[in-house]
Amino acid sequence: MFALLILSSFLFAATPADTISDYYEVETILTPAGLVAETGGLSFLPDGRMAACFHRGEIMLYNPKTKVWKLFADGLHDPLGVVAVSNRELLVIQRPELTRLTDTNGDGVADLYETVTDQYGMSGNYHEFAFGPVRDAKGNLYISLNTGSNGAGIRDEVRGQYEPLGRQGRMYACVPYRGWVLQITPDGKVKPFASGFRSPNGIGFDAKGRLFVTDNQGDWLGTSKLYHVKEGKFYGHPASLVWRPGFPSVDPLTLPVRTLDSLRTVESIAFPHESMAHSPTQVVFDNTGGKFGPFTGQMFVGDMDYAHLLRILPDEVNGQIQGACIPFFSKAGSNGVAMRIGNNRLAFGPDGSLYLGQTDHGWLGSKGIQRIRYKGGVPLDIMAMKLTHTGFTLTFTQPLDEATAREITNYKLRSYYYEYHQAYGSPQMDMQSVSVSDVEVSADRRTVLLRLETIKPNRIYELTLGNLAAGNGQKKLMNHLICYTLNKLVE
Amino acid sequence: MLKILFQFSCLLLCISAHAQRDTVIQISATGGLQYSQKRIVVKPNTRLTLVFQNKDDMAHNLVVTRPNSRLRVVEFALALGDKGAQKHYIPAIDDVLAHTTSVEPGNSDSITVKLAEGGYPFVCTFPGHGSIMYGIIYATKDVKRLPAPDQDINIPNPTRMQEAAHRGHHPTVSGHPFPMKLPAVYRTFMPDCGPAAIAVGLPGPNGGQSYVFDAGECRIRYAWSGGFVDNTEQWEGKGQLLTKVVGDIYFRDTGGFPWRVGNAVPKAQFKGYRLVNRYPEFWYVINGVEVHELVKPLPAGRGLIRTFTFSPTKQSLSFINKPQPGIRLQSSLGRFQREILTLPPGTRQVILKMMYDV
Repeated sequence: MFALLILSSFLFAATPADTISDYYEVETILTPAGLVAETGGLSFLPDGRMAACFHRGEIMLYNPKTKVWKLFADGLHDPLGVVAVSNRELLVIQRPELTRLTDTNGDGVADLYETVTDQYGMSGNYHEFAFGPVRDAKGNLYISLNTGSNGAGIRDEVRGQYEPLGRQGRMYACVPYRGWVLQITPDGKVKPFASGFRSPNGIGFDAKGRLFVTDNQGDWLGTSKLYHVKEGKFYGHPASLVWRPGFPSVDPLTLPVRTLDSLRTVESIAFPHESMAHSPTQVVFDNTGGKFGPFTGQMFVGDMDYAHLLRILPDEVNGQIQGACIPFFSKAGSNGVAMRIGNNRLAFGPDGSLYLGQTDHGWLGSKGIQRIRYKGGVPLDIMAMKLTHTGFTLTFTQPLDEATAREITNYKLRSYYYEYHQAYGSPQMDMQSVSVSDVEVSADRRTVLLRLETIKPNRIYELTLGNLAAGNGQKKLMNHLICYTLNKLVE
Repeated sequence: MLKILFQFSCLLLCISAHAQRDTVIQISATGGLQYSQKRIVVKPNTRLTLVFQNKDDMAHNLVVTRPNSRLRVVEFALALGDKGAQKHYIPAIDDVLAHTTSVEPGNSDSITVKLAEGGYPFVCTFPGHGSIMYGIIYATKDVKRLPAPDQDINIPNPTRMQEAAHRGHHPTVSGHPFPMKLPAVYRTFMPDCGPAAIAVGLPGPNGGQSYVFDAGECRIRYAWSGGFVDNTEQWEGKGQLLTKVVGDIYFRDTGGFPWRVGNAVPKAQFKGYRLVNRYPEFWYVINGVEVHELVKPLPAGRGLIRTFTFSPTKQSLSFINKPQPGIRLQSSLGRFQREILTLPPGTRQVILKMMYDV
């Protein structure tokens, strides 16, 4: 027994655990006494302070150097997003409107609350959240509007035109632009930009300035997903169609699923329910130039129910974005502070750390703010997953140990799809295992080419990796599960 | 015997299960303008029958009102004037949920009312009785949430009123990382208003005064005194439940948007507000005319001072006032002709004093 103990401690010392918490650490940010920190938004001011908004209507400014919080504004209605314009000016979305808050007299507190736009409806249903804003390079702002839920009714008095045809179904759009992304141009014009969203609680850009929106599993969404959003497109949740110009005067739910399917643009990347996400949140891309580690330029997505983020590995196939998602900061080691769930908002600070704004808001989640700081080193992980004519290439953060990389049994693949239908969620349909016929490792040992027996479009390819390693077994693979959404084959 | 006992207890069980939804409560008028019960607690959606017995030596009635509407119902009853007696002092407004007739000494009457979750005042609307003779029915699942009887502003208690005024000087638990300080603004879901509501609490004696500005319609919807709001339920969970009015509503604007530009009924566009010493000055546009509206409390008594500032316009501006018992309106400019105040051409500012006279 004693010998066994000695042996196991020897083994333990010889092969350190090598988990993600050897490369990143989590720190909990103390919030002020009396604050119920249901965090709705995070943004950094040019001077390095962080603006945070909270469910009970407060906007507070946090100085990361002094760790001091100060109140900037209050009295807002469930603010769920903030963007700093300058050290004195913030844009904040609240249930009724997008608001510009300005400290005009320089006393550190906002005194001007200007309505940027309130040109959308409110039925008074609790689920009609408003998200955003985000600002593109041309100065356009984008906000996304949640549909209402039949978990509760609507008020006797609504704001905006009431459309009974949009009141049907589990999640509904009985007032204008529910289930839409709106664009507000720099001269203040409001343009209904894209439709078909259910619960779009994540809006952001990638490094190339392309607009992405997350949506939540539910009716018409077999699983949660990430859309690449373009003007005029419809993304699949039918209720919002009633507000599409020229749309016939019918309840969209009476249209055949085939018809709705033909109208929609599918997601770029599905987040398989359970294994990847339950309730995705904010999208941010790593603009830290390496301060946050090796994933510069990549997008991260939060989730309400999981103590991990998702990292997005996009692939461009025939001009369309599809690609893979992989967890980030899952299975952290026992060292350090644990990441909480409820990661509703993400924002990179000037020091390159990623701040996490947490909420529960009556659902699963937590309250507060944490941040993830990069400590150094390069974890062994997948940097890219690309589709080829015959399979996939996987590119890793560093050269792999060749023997394990070449081992064909280290690559288990299966594929399935999620049904597009009115029901809530979808099982994984037509699950098939996919045989790997050949594995090839590149000369620099960073890239693995997998050739598959068959490859089919409109399916999710779930790859489970075995114990790949690097540095002669010193580096362990951080994540063994990666899911590629294969909409189109390479032409 | 055992079997009979068993059947009997089953019967009892059935009765009590049924009684949760269908309750009869006896209440009487006693001497000194008092109801025998001042606080009644039932479960939500109860069909409540109140059997009202008049044991006093003068006539009374019993009127159940919408939440926070006791003061307004009393005021409208008073405004019935000569016609009051024949109408049993019951005003024809929808703030009245149920009422007895006038009940002479020794007689009784009963009413039945179904109550959703909320606090429903009951009151005698005979002239002069309403300020003393009242009480409250709480329809609630959560009895623990109710204020202690000695701190309940919905039941008459002169001692408690004094204590409350004294307590007002100390900061109370605000639910924020700062003490609640009036004036204060909450954008929240308010009852009897569009969903884009802005509740404003103003400083003043006895809990101050408050009003709701509807940002969808750009107008004040109602005003109350004796407190501000209770957000507890709105803040909890997912945000479906309404914020509650704390105090007595004394004014409701039931006339729609009050301003006219030229002859048109304008569509107002909300533009936001500026905090001036924490008082919000609302900003909206009607037919191209920019309006700023700053609302302050009367220095003493119930009432609001509304200062309207206009951008230059050649169009004529007029204000329509739907009269309301107890509410007197005074303008710094022009004169009301019937219900219409037409402002002199070129007016840039007007102050409307809304006074509640008792």
